[in-house]
Amino acid sequence: MKHMNARAFKALIAMSFAISATVVPISQSFAAGERLGARCTTEGVMTGTSSTSLACVKGANGKLTWQRVKLSSGNGRPVAALTPPKGSIEFWHWRNEDRATLERIIANYEARYPGTKITMNIMPSGDYTATGFAKIRANPKAAVFATFRGAQFNQFAKGDMMTDLSNERFTRQNVISGGMIPGQYEGKQLGIPYHYLFNNPVYNTEIFAKEKWSLPTNFTQLLAWCQAAKKAGYTPLAWSGGFRPNAGQMLNSMLMNSAPDYATLEARIVALDTGKAEITAPWFKEMANKYKRMADANCFPDNATGVTDAAAVALFATGKAAVIPTGTFTMGAVKAVNPAMTGKMNLFSLITTDEKPQYVGIHNNTFILSVNKNSTATDQKIARSFISYLLTGPVAQVFSVGTSQHTTVLDVDYSGNVDLLNTSSWQAKKTLLAPRFLWLNQGVRDLQEDALIAIVGGKPVDATLEDFAKQVKQKLAG
Amino acid sequence: MSVPAFLLYAFLYLYPALNNLRFSTTRWDGIVEPEFVGLRNFSNLMTNDDLFFKVMGNNIRFTLLVVIFQTGFSLLFAILLLKNSRGNVFLRTLYFFPTILSSVSVAMIWLFLYDPNWGAINIFFNKIGLEAFALNWLGSETSALYAIVFSQVWFHTGQMMVIYIAGLQQIPAELYEAAEVDGANRWQQFRSVTWPMALPTTAVVIAYTTIQSFRAFDLIYTMTLGGPNNSTNIFSTLIYLTAFNEFRFGYAAAQTIFMVLMILFLTWLQRRILRTKY
Amino acid sequence: MIFKTVRALLLAIFALLIIIPSLIVIFGSFKSDLEIYESPMSLPDAFKLDNYRTLFETSQVFTNFRNSVFVTSMSVFITLLLASMTAFALSRMVNLSAKVMFALFSLGLAIPAQVNMIPLFILFNDLKLTNSFFGLILVNIVTTLPISIFILTSFFRELPREMYEVSAIDGASIFRIYRSIALPLSKPAMGATAIFLFVINWNDLLYPLLLITQADKKTLPLAMLDFRGEYATSFSMIFTSVMIASVPMVIMYLTMQRSFVAGLTAGAVKG
Repeated sequence: MKHMNARAFKALIAMSFAISATVVPISQSFAAGERLGARCTTEGVMTGTSSTSLACVKGANGKLTWQRVKLSSGNGRPVAALTPPKGSIEFWHWRNEDRATLERIIANYEARYPGTKITMNIMPSGDYTATGFAKIRANPKAAVFATFRGAQFNQFAKGDMMTDLSNERFTRQNVISGGMIPGQYEGKQLGIPYHYLFNNPVYNTEIFAKEKWSLPTNFTQLLAWCQAAKKAGYTPLAWSGGFRPNAGQMLNSMLMNSAPDYATLEARIVALDTGKAEITAPWFKEMANKYKRMADANCFPDNATGVTDAAAVALFATGKAAVIPTGTFTMGAVKAVNPAMTGKMNLFSLITTDEKPQYVGIHNNTFILSVNKNSTATDQKIARSFISYLLTGPVAQVFSVGTSQHTTVLDVDYSGNVDLLNTSSWQAKKTLLAPRFLWLNQGVRDLQEDALIAIVGGKPVDATLEDFAKQVKQKLAG
Repeated sequence: MSVPAFLLYAFLYLYPALNNLRFSTTRWDGIVEPEFVGLRNFSNLMTNDDLFFKVMGNNIRFTLLVVIFQTGFSLLFAILLLKNSRGNVFLRTLYFFPTILSSVSVAMIWLFLYDPNWGAINIFFNKIGLEAFALNWLGSETSALYAIVFSQVWFHTGQMMVIYIAGLQQIPAELYEAAEVDGANRWQQFRSVTWPMALPTTAVVIAYTTIQSFRAFDLIYTMTLGGPNNSTNIFSTLIYLTAFNEFRFGYAAAQTIFMVLMILFLTWLQRRILRTKY
Repeated sequence: MIFKTVRALLLAIFALLIIIPSLIVIFGSFKSDLEIYESPMSLPDAFKLDNYRTLFETSQVFTNFRNSVFVTSMSVFITLLLASMTAFALSRMVNLSAKVMFALFSLGLAIPAQVNMIPLFILFNDLKLTNSFFGLILVNIVTTLPISIFILTSFFRELPREMYEVSAIDGASIFRIYRSIALPLSKPAMGATAIFLFVINWNDLLYPLLLITQADKKTLPLAMLDFRGEYATSFSMIFTSVMIASVPMVIMYLTMQRSFVAGLTAGAVKG
């Protein structure tokens, strides 16, 4: 009997190895022996997104070794979900595309805690931004609600609508602390951002392997790589200059290493947004010049300003372009065009400095879950229980695989979606919270992004910036 | 008997139209209480808004081009397909066909055709060796407006052609016979008979096309959103974006008033020109 | 000879300009995105219905279709009813109020209803008529009333006066005359106007865009915009949705061609 078991066990190991070898490419294909201090080969590779993970990091001596990283803010393993009292509450949000997955999660939750009911109320995102606050304030039954990062979260925080979750164990032990910033207000954790996505270029790993390119790590290398890729017949960056919302995603990466520190960057953007500064400012001009240099190095598609979002996805999905500078959310669209792209994508650092970069990528945390302060004590308990349930690894796994998104939750097994798996290690890298969403005035940001698009299209930098600065000024005056 | 319709119309057309005047004197984001600013929106529009004048220019160019080409082509095809032969009736049916499509559909189709990398137009020009014609259609400030003019003309030429055919078939055959006896060639026949006799129809076609061109919102909204660099932004898209993208409702209402004035001016101008010609 | 060649050439070019895009859409709806991008103009490998299946399964296209049918037919019906009553009354009245009314309706003809997008949006927001079919139908009625009244008035004016006078002597009320004489006589004009209105309402984008945000209330053109959404874009699905939105119109067009052409030109010829 014992003998048999050992044999079965061995077979099981062999089998799982075989499976992981076929399913798990590049970043997660570890040889045995990742242990603290041991040598490793690829910088940034991680053993997983658990509270105590190992990451391959370059030390002071320039050698790559496995080192411990702590992703949560508190000590101790993630905790299980809190048991709710009986009763029923509403869960308000705007993600209609996640409806089916969330319904499944809620059904499981209700089965586990009979007598407790959660009803979802999903509003279109435009409505939710405009009227969500008023409607939720008038409805204490909406004990759990989600908010957008930025203006909407602040609106709820100022309206004193959210209970403080700072001291909950799930806040300290279940989630990646780096993803919690958008849910903080005046030192309190008023909400738990659930989504963890990367507004970061995605590259075709197969092309890079085939052409034996290494990933550029500074701006000079980037320009050289663009020229090489163009010469080899590829479009280096499938940038959709004909569709501003997607074209603007690259702005995140362009801003990423443009300021000495985050506070400076934030102050600069707020100044642009409110008209206290203009895009003729030296730092913006420098960034605009980098767009121009990239255009001159053939980084962008031919007729870049006429490339629509669909055309850019098509360029990348058909293997004509090596990189698409949008984000992890594009991977689904790419696979819809060409299913063979599954497992052949990873994140690409767009570094625009020749000095040591502060950040290697961009992330965004939104869908911030909060407990309604106006709800009854019982309903608040149910709300906390439901949030704690969402913040457990297995539940977040159902959510992630169902919706093709990373979450801020620790100990999530992403192997159900190979592309999520391949990019999950980025949750431990030094990435910047997407700065493009610091602009709150859509009209101003549109114009400033249009200026950059026009520059890529061949307009002279200085004159274009002046022209658009004038337009911004007039817009803010109106 | 006409009261129900009129009440509805007064409440949902005339009253809102007058409301534009009220809103245009405020600064309002659509949420908090509007703030009265007097005529500041108008003075800003007139003295401190390059975009507005650019849009006005775009709109005039767009309307003018659509009116000229759509009227010209529909008259041309009406003349070519005037006789009720079997082949002609078939072609009329075909030419009329785009009219029944929704503007969103038309916009989607042309969005694909114009794509610089994937679209049929550039594939065609590259194939026949005319690479110089393979432009960045919707992506370039110099060509985008013209590309949309072309789509609009494609969309509605068939409809106007049918109107022309109805009009031209009323022209008595004797007039042509007389002209032929005089030894007039095709062009002279057109100058002396067709054109003057078709003038009333032309007036109708031009008036209708003008209004239609102001409705090009759907095409532009779907294809370019007014870009690149506002080169395809016309009044209707500008007003929409000012109100619903930038939340400046008062300013958008002031823009609306200029649009109404311009439409009234164009209508007056057309009446004048065509009246002097009768 | 030269004329004939030029004529044939011109006609052929415009015919191809219509046929080729149509074929791209029709074929595209049976292709995968990859096929569309790699060979946009070729025949599909096979007439697979995958796109249609996906569209039905992943979107609410049936609901959108139903919404469009409901909103359009209600709008057309009520507009015709109101417009024919008004046109009939206006064509028979000669007093000042009729003239003023007619002039005000003409204003709506000259100035497209889109100039009202902001005040109407605000008004409907206050009246809680956003995300409501009732609201959308009201807007449709109001935007198409002027043109319908115009077409029908000129029709009623052409009817011989004696017809009315005979019944007036019989002591019939104006409603009776409208119902039993004017309406039956105006069938062809009403039919043409109906088609004209149907096409306008079915294809309208602006007001649904302003007033409808809820997914299950969207009409077809609005739902099609979602396919050109921010992140996922697929021309195979866009073409499929173009097909679904257009096929009912094409069938109507081919079976009722004569009244279709009459309808879509009535607005201009009579106006």
